[in-house]
Amino acid sequence: MFLLPILLALRATEADAALIVRLQRREPQALADLYDRYGRLAYALILRVVRDTGIAEDLVQETFLRVWNRVQGFDAQKGAIGPWLLAVARNRAIDYIRSAGGRERNTVEFEETGHPSLYTDMEPDILASDKARIVKAAVEKLSSHQRQVIELAYFEGLSQTEMAERMGQPLGTVKTWVRAALKTLRDELGAQAVSV
Amino acid sequence: MNCPELRDHYELYALGLAENPERDEIRAHLDRGCEVCMLEMKRARELAALLGGSSASAAPSPKLRRRILASVGVEQRAFGWAPLLAGTTAMFLAAAIYFGGREWDFSRQVVRLTEQSRVQIIELTRLNEAVQLMNGADTTVTSFGEKKPVPKGKLYYNPAKGALLIASNLPPAPAGKAYEFWYIPKAKGASPARAGMFQSQSDGTVMQMIPGPIDANTTAAIAVTLENETGVDAPTSTPVIVAPLAPAIQ
Repeated sequence: MFLLPILLALRATEADAALIVRLQRREPQALADLYDRYGRLAYALILRVVRDTGIAEDLVQETFLRVWNRVQGFDAQKGAIGPWLLAVARNRAIDYIRSAGGRERNTVEFEETGHPSLYTDMEPDILASDKARIVKAAVEKLSSHQRQVIELAYFEGLSQTEMAERMGQPLGTVKTWVRAALKTLRDELGAQAVSV
Repeated sequence: MNCPELRDHYELYALGLAENPERDEIRAHLDRGCEVCMLEMKRARELAALLGGSSASAAPSPKLRRRILASVGVEQRAFGWAPLLAGTTAMFLAAAIYFGGREWDFSRQVVRLTEQSRVQIIELTRLNEAVQLMNGADTTVTSFGEKKPVPKGKLYYNPAKGALLIASNLPPAPAGKAYEFWYIPKAKGASPARAGMFQSQSDGTVMQMIPGPIDANTTAAIAVTLENETGVDAPTSTPVIVAPLAPAIQ
């Protein structure tokens, strides 16, 4: 089950560049194709964050409309649109739970997804290869605390200070866990998943 | 700060965990196109993307796809659809209150109301986009088909926002067919480019946007042909509408 959404995107990544061109030509069918490729992946990610199916569907809709409205800034020749779409999806979800929880939104992070050009030059199969298994293996190698801080950061958008409060741990300890977790992921994924 | 000093902060930045001063420093490096930081951020964003792809599988309802496509105008709605929905929503609300003692029924009504509201918001958004285009400072309008029995109407054109076709006497497409927009180029010998599919209403009316910038220096007109519903790469029939773009007066 863990790999299913990634495998669903497997067959489509080669044609991402052509899909981006069609999106930029405002072909509605291109949006349908984009949804067929990444809709379940975006939904799974957003649902993991907000844990409400109705809200998740609303946010998926917002995600795809945002991509539709901003795709003109994407370089089709360098395009790997999946990572950008997932970043938009994550930020929409985290922005929602921040608003619901009365927390401030992370403006810097939010602005990032407004610039799709920053998501170019990625490997076209970044979401579709055996790297998915490598990611799972890498995450499983984290200690429980390390895995928890990564999940709180990625899926709940908590800052390190907020994580320290949530976990009842000193900020320095949380920072240590975060850095150790990222180093482990970097080391595990570096040679294969994030190589250039 | 120089790039080596920021080495341990790229992933934090990609995950939204970076703190100042490193966060502002990375942002500044990216803004000035620092190649080292761009490369490191690409790696960091790949890591974030991989984490995002690790969510457990889940499937949205089949309605979501239709909702998303409807929001960009793939599924055409009647002109008076939004007020009708508002009335329908009010009716459902009244029914929900009337049957307030029946909790189960009430819950079902709330669910339906929520769905109706979502669809209504989408349609209102689409109508708002159309109104914004029509009211744009650079918007021009051309009429077509005035001397012919069918079809006739107006094309609103805004260089930055796109075009809005409002027409009547455009018969509903036969089964398996749909209308297709085309950008007609000014250059001689150049081929028309696809601009989207749509259907007209049962009464022959249509209000359909072509969102996105359109360059009047290279595009002479917007045309409409009747094609297979899956769309074609080049027109296969005589245009039923040809509406020239009217550049804004400078």
